[in-house]
Amino acid sequence: MRRFKVFTDFEKEEKYLNDMAREGKILQKYSCLGFYHFKESSPQDLKYRIDYRVFKRNEDFEDYKALFEDAGWQHVYGTRWSCNQYYLPTQKSADDRIFSSEESAAARYKLFYEMCSANVSIAVCYFVVVLITADFNLGNITFLTPGLWEMTGTHFWRAFLVELPFVFFRTIPPFLLLIYGFIYAVWAGKSRKLYKQRVQENKDKV
Amino acid sequence: MNLSKNLPLTETTFYILLALYKAGHGYAVMQDVEELSGGKVRIAAGTMYGALDNLTKQKLIFSLPSLDTRRKMYQISPEGREVLALEAARLSHLIEVYQMAEIGGDYHEKI
Repeated sequence: MRRFKVFTDFEKEEKYLNDMAREGKILQKYSCLGFYHFKESSPQDLKYRIDYRVFKRNEDFEDYKALFEDAGWQHVYGTRWSCNQYYLPTQKSADDRIFSSEESAAARYKLFYEMCSANVSIAVCYFVVVLITADFNLGNITFLTPGLWEMTGTHFWRAFLVELPFVFFRTIPPFLLLIYGFIYAVWAGKSRKLYKQRVQENKDKV
Repeated sequence: MNLSKNLPLTETTFYILLALYKAGHGYAVMQDVEELSGGKVRIAAGTMYGALDNLTKQKLIFSLPSLDTRRKMYQISPEGREVLALEAARLSHLIEVYQMAEIGGDYHEKI
């Protein structure tokens, strides 16, 4: 079973997975874009914990997973690039937390924010390149046939349909990237707010 | 590199650096820190990995070749030792002025 859901708050995501397990839906896999794959099972009381990390090298990822395993955590799902790393406590786990300091728990929001900002920058750079190649006139990436709009009847339709696939080819990638950049900008804003909130809470405690 | 920018160290960082005088993998460090602190400081796995990652980036520790294919071995670097020494000097100064105030009567009279 698949569910589509997007979270920026890790604590809410943990709660969601715990609630699903209580309904007998056990997390199998998380694919990017927000698809959670669940397996039907008997209802269970599970305590998911989520870390947020990417790894440059595979040996770093192995070292990371080994440390959690040694400390009593089962790595349920996550790849080198998936960012989200899902854990469940095993028998030997003495603790139900993966963070012993508020700063390190807040640091995952910072990393999430940085990843989102990087994606926004990529989208912006790409869009600037599109604008430059189009001479800062977006009309240059739509219909280019000279005098197209003055044509009538079959002349018009033939020229229009011949060029249409090329227009799609030129406009769809920048359009998708614009949406992509926009989504990441929203997430970046949200995760930044969550991070600032946590930093502020830590300060208030001191 | 200006090492004093790392000061003051958190209690956790201090213990981690101290534990890494002897090379060890992540979980061994967690156990050593618990022992060194008399059971007071217990670092959770996510916090531990984050700390090792940060300290490596700051070059206060480094990883060395390990026989274990999965677990990396970490050890304190010369810079790390220097930072610990700076922190120890800072702490002993605090203790010194504290003792002057507490044992030697009013600290302000002395200066």
